[in-house]
Formats: sequence, structure tokens, C-alpha cells
Amino acid sequence: MAAEANNAKPTFLSPPQEGKEPIVSLRGITKRFPGVIALDHIDLDIYPGTVHALLGENGAGKSTLVKVLYGIYTPDEGEIIINGRSTRLTSPADAISTGIVMVSQSPQIIDTLTVAENIILGLEKYNHFVPVTKVYKTIREESKRVGIKIEPGIEVWRLSYTQKQLVEILRAILLGAKVLLLDEAITYLPIEEKKRFYKFIRQFADEGGTVVLITHKIYEAMDVADKITVLRRGKVAGHLDRKEATIEKIRALMFGERSAEITYERLPTAQPEPNTVLEVKDLWVMGDFGGYAVQGVSLEVKEGEVLGIAGVAGNGQKELIQAIMRLRPVIKGKIMYNGEDITRKTTYYLRINGVGYIPDLPAKYGVSIENSIIENIAVLPVYSRGIINWDKIRELTLKLIKEFEIKTPSPDTPVKFLSGGNIMKVLVARELTVATNLLVAYNPTRALDEATAIKVRKIIKDKVLKNKVSAIIASEDLDEIFQISDRIAVMNSGKIVGVFPADKAKREEIEHLMVM
Amino acid sequence: MPGSIASFIIGVSSIFLAYYLAAVGHGLMEKSGVLNLAIDGVFTLGVAVAFAISVYTFSVPLATFIAMIVAAMFGLMLAFITTKLPISHGAAGLSTMFLGYGLAALVGLPARQLQINGRSLATIQPSLGGTWVWFYVVAFAVAVGIWYLVEKTKIGAAIRAAGENPASAEALGVNVLAVRLFASGVGYALIGIGAAVFELAYTQVWSQGAGMGYGWIAFAISLSAGRHPILIIISAMIFAVLDKYRFLIAAIYNLPPDVGKMLPFVAAIAAMIIFMVTPLRRKLAPPKSLGKIYFREERSV
Repeated sequence: MAAEANNAKPTFLSPPQEGKEPIVSLRGITKRFPGVIALDHIDLDIYPGTVHALLGENGAGKSTLVKVLYGIYTPDEGEIIINGRSTRLTSPADAISTGIVMVSQSPQIIDTLTVAENIILGLEKYNHFVPVTKVYKTIREESKRVGIKIEPGIEVWRLSYTQKQLVEILRAILLGAKVLLLDEAITYLPIEEKKRFYKFIRQFADEGGTVVLITHKIYEAMDVADKITVLRRGKVAGHLDRKEATIEKIRALMFGERSAEITYERLPTAQPEPNTVLEVKDLWVMGDFGGYAVQGVSLEVKEGEVLGIAGVAGNGQKELIQAIMRLRPVIKGKIMYNGEDITRKTTYYLRINGVGYIPDLPAKYGVSIENSIIENIAVLPVYSRGIINWDKIRELTLKLIKEFEIKTPSPDTPVKFLSGGNIMKVLVARELTVATNLLVAYNPTRALDEATAIKVRKIIKDKVLKNKVSAIIASEDLDEIFQISDRIAVMNSGKIVGVFPADKAKREEIEHLMVM
Repeated sequence: MPGSIASFIIGVSSIFLAYYLAAVGHGLMEKSGVLNLAIDGVFTLGVAVAFAISVYTFSVPLATFIAMIVAAMFGLMLAFITTKLPISHGAAGLSTMFLGYGLAALVGLPARQLQINGRSLATIQPSLGGTWVWFYVVAFAVAVGIWYLVEKTKIGAAIRAAGENPASAEALGVNVLAVRLFASGVGYALIGIGAAVFELAYTQVWSQGAGMGYGWIAFAISLSAGRHPILIIISAMIFAVLDKYRFLIAAIYNLPPDVGKMLPFVAAIAAMIIFMVTPLRRKLAPPKSLGKIYFREERSV
């Protein structure tokens, strides 16, 4: 138990403990969803004291596999062997009791609860009627030990994304995690924080813990893993030792022939027209929990250019984007679209006038997951004013499925049966067809694998260049910002703290402004 | 006039306690994420059960106990079917409500026949021997107890977690089904006791349909106080006064008696509006996943 290792000094000595029995083995794990085989006879051995990366493109089955390991899904076939014993995991509580704890990309801790309340929920040694304050001391001590500063009584909504992930890790340690499942848990952290996490992960493994790192970012796996397993279309495409792994090898396993398409070169710079499509003047917008999230932002987007908004999550980008889309009230300031004041117009008005919108958390805000792909496309006001022409929509849907390589049994499949990446593709495909004037986006490729993300960026940029569409894209991924933008605005604490032409912008300078 | 103030406090004590218990039970259940639209049906059934048992056994404690158990069973059933299966909370709740109305008639009518034939009904008189003091003591004790349970203990955190985001709660180690069974079972037990108090201490008569509508008032009381166990004391008191003195109020302002009957419902709507347009809205926000179908074995992102 981690708590017992209180006095152990962090060491980086022990190499991956080869030759030992695996702590977790999977044999022939298969999981089917209606119309999809998400996992197809997966065999996998994970050894104690190692950092084992699971890589794969969207829909490869990474998330499903992790959920099987964490007892959220029960496999249709196959065996999970933990410490040499065949084990049935039917709930996360089961997994936790065997020492397996998951930290996922979207913090599972609950906003309205305090840090301590979130943590105590999983701690079996406390009975149900114990006051939550009983756990405060333990939290303070353990957080000090791992070098995290967290006040147990604070409500989680007050924390930043990074702090929330830290709480998740702290929680895992307090649960006595022997196997830490990190499901894209560090993928979206700013670089500085990521490095701290790498150190922590290394230390955890060196102290005998096991880390399963699930990611679609190859660099992340290369940075910290001892072993790499690549999944492709629900099957194991290959196991690699860190020593023998190269980016090219991994890409070939992940994407097959598509790996040649991956590049982080800047996409061609647009030649914007002189007229302004979107202008924001001294905008003030409230955040979810009171206080101004956007504080006097002014910016403009010319016809046929991409304005990228760089920033660490939670610095007002979400609120700014929502205000532009008229999804959040404007307290003060003005938004002009093609010279017209739209500050008091509705989202509907924007949608029928050539504005496409890609929100963050697409499964929640972008699509209706109970409905089919066709219905999700037909719902847009440009297609559904009056009577819907289903034949036309079906034709369009089939075209988009092909063009965006959306993995789905049919256009009539409810969106909830698609993988996260494929849901994102449905959304991006739909929005690009309606964005005849302006595309407003927040993390448009967040959940996508490299090959798909780059493809999506190319399609967006193509559209900007060819059809003179304008785009305002906020993203927490600096690679994305650099690749797609013509100009880069940096947002920090609700304000724009710098605007740069993308071809001359320096990465270090922008990173500095983001965290300043 | 101290006398009239005392008689006022004594006069509303029983309806206040009935409302308070039903509303706080309702709030506890909904905190765990189960939308409770069955309340009026089960309240009506609780009233009938309390009446019938009181007629059959002439025992107030036994009548109260059985009403509590019957109501708790409904709470458990609602929590189970809405959490274990992808069933709409609204449909399950409203169906159960009508079931409750039907069963209430079935349970109450034979006892009523007995009563007409001369059998008497055990009741409890708030004004006798300071019983009314105990009514208030019980209400305040329950208020503090439920508040402590929900806000300060581990299981309280689990209840709120299940209501905010059951999928996350499960991942954090909460057994959502068990927690919802607990909250709904205890919640409906309180609703059952409330119904018994309503019958045995407040109205003390029974005819078919007795109690109908009062469950909805308890629903409104809970809602208008943001399901907060302490604040419910205030709203329960307001509604108790309105119910007890509605005819008096109607007479003073020269309103038709039917308008008097409507007053509590008008007040419910007004309370909700006042509450929703003030900053209290955020502080006392409803659980985010209230009434949402939670079904584990399904692909979700």
C-alpha cells in the first residue's frame, strides 16, 4: 500500500522488473456492442513495476479495454487474471478492491462535492456514517508526501483541470492503487504539468506500482512507457519494448498505410480578404460559478483566415466561444458578424446564416447520442425548416461517412454506439458542410487520433482557403494551434494577452504567455 | 393575545409535521437522482393504510409503522427499477402514483365501512398533554439529522454523488443502486410517517381520495426549499398555515372558498419562481442527473 511507503525516498533505481509474474493478464477478451466488435480476443500481460502504454487510433478499442479492466463493462468472452487468479470484475468497486484504479481524461470527481468527499467515497475502511472530516488528515499528509498542494475541504468546481487530475491521482494512491489506469489522463495537460506527471509516474513504477497508460499520442507513450502495446480495430497489432520502439514503427502499427499522412508541418497560410467577418468588442461574459470568465476581450477574424486561440483549459475560451455562438449571455460588449450586431441575436439566426459550430465535449453538446447519424445531421435548421427531405439527407450522410471514414455499421446507427473519435467525426463532418461563412470551434480534434486529427485540420484549412470561410478555433493543443492558424491569440485569465502571426510566432513565447 | 398565538402554533403543528416529513423524505430521495413523481399516490395510499390499520387495531403507533413500511416498499421499488433498468423515471413515477390512488381506495373503503358501522378510529390529539411540542421536536430533530447525514457523512456524499453524476459516482466507488435504495427507502419511510400524521393527527377522517393533492404540496414544499432539510422547515410552515387557515384567509379577503383551496398551489408556484430568479438558484440547484436514465452496460462517452 502506498500509505505504508510513507518514509520511502523516491528512487529511480529499479529497472522494469522482468521475469516476474504478470500482475494483470488478459486472455481472449472480447466485447461486442450492437453492430460493432469493440474488442476482438485481446491477449495482454502487464508486469508489476512497469509503465505499460496502450496506443491506438480512435475506435481501436483502448477505452473499451480500460473499462473492462475497471469493471465498468463486463467482457462477453475471455478471462481477466489478476495476481494469478481468474477474476470477475463487475463494478469499479470490484476493481478498486483488487488494487486497480482508473484516472480518465475527463475527471470523474464530482464538481459539487469537496475534494475529501470525492476521495472518501472509494475508501472502504471508512463506514457509511462516518463524518467526511475524518479523512482530512490523511489527505493532507499523503498530498504532502507526493508533492501536491490540495485543501481537502474545497469544492471541486473551484479547481483547475490540472488540479482535478492531481486529485484523481491522489485519490488513486489513497485507494492503495497497485495498478493505475491512466486513460488519456495526462494527454490534455499543459506541458509543464505533464512533465511533473511523468516524474510521478516513473516514481510510482519504481516503487513497485504498475501504470497502464492509455493514449493516442505516440510521444506520450515514448516519453514514459517501458512497454507499448498497439491496438488496431479491436485487436492487438503488436507489443513493443520501449528500447525497440520508434515513432515510425508505432505509427505503422497504429495506422497501417495511413501512417504516411502524418505530419506536423504548418498548413498553407491563407491570404485573408480585407473585410472582417467576426468582430468582438470589449466582451464581458460570466463563468458558470459567478465571476467574469471573459474580461474585455476584443478580436477580429478576417474573411478567409483562421484565428487560433491558444490557452490552458479554463481561461475563458469556452465562455468566449459560447458567447460568440449566442449560447451564453453577454454582460457587456458587442459581437459583430458580417457587419451586423448579433449580440442580441439567437443561435438559430447564426446557424441559418452560414455559421458552423464544433463545441467541446461533442457527445454532450454536439450531437444527440440517442439518435442516428442521419437524424443528427437532419436536425440542423438549414436542413429541417419545414419538411425534411430524408433522401437528400441520407445521400449527404453516406457521402460524409465515406469522406471522413466514420466507422459505423450504418447511417441509421444511434450515435452512442460509435467510439468517441467517430462521434467527433460525425460532428465535424456535419459542421463543415454548414459553415459556409464562419466556423467556430473549441478543441475540434481533441478526441481524435493523429492521422484523423491532421486530416480534419486539413479539411478545415482547405475549406478556409478554397471557399474563403473564416474560422475561430480555440484549442488547448498547441500543435493544433500552430498547424492550422493564420494568426494566434493567446488567452489567459479571461483576457487576450497577445496576438501573433502564426508563421512568425515563437512557441516558447506563447507557452510562456499561456501560463504567466 | 398569547392564547391565540398558542392555539395557532398548536393548530398547525400536525399538518406542519406531516408536510415536513413528506417533503424532507422526498428531498432525500431526489438528492440521490431518482425523480419522485409517485409521491402523491403513495402519500394517498399511506393515508389510507394509516386509517385502515388504525380502525382495525386501534393503535396509532402500529398504524404509523405499517404506513411507513408500505411507503418504504414503494420507495425501494422505484429506486430499483429506475436504476437497474433503463426505465423513464417519469413514467415509473406517474404509473406508481395511479397505482397508489387505486390501492388507497382498495385499502381504505372496507375500513371506512367498518367505521360507518360503529368501529372507532385511534387518533392522536396535538393539543393533549403537550403532544404538539413533540411534533415540533421531531421535525427539528429530523431536520438536523437528515442535514447532517446528507451534508457531513460519507453516505451523504455518496447520495449527492449519485444524484449529480451516477456514472462518475460508480467510478469513484459508490454503489449507486445501494445508495439510491437507501435514500429512497428512508425517504419514502418519512413520506409514509408524514401520511400517517396527516391522517391520524390532522384530518382524523377518511373518505375516498383523502390526502390526494397533499403529496404534490409536499413535492412543492421540497422544491421551493431546494430540498434543503433546514429550509424545508420554513416552507413547510408557510404551507401548513395556508392549508390550516385557507378558509379564514378566504373569508377575510372575501374570496370564494374554492379560491381558498387553490391558495397552497398558487403559493407553491410563487415560491418556485421566487427561488429560481434569485441567486439561491445556484446554491440550491437540483441534482444534475435528477430523473436521468442511468444504465451501466451501455456504451457512453
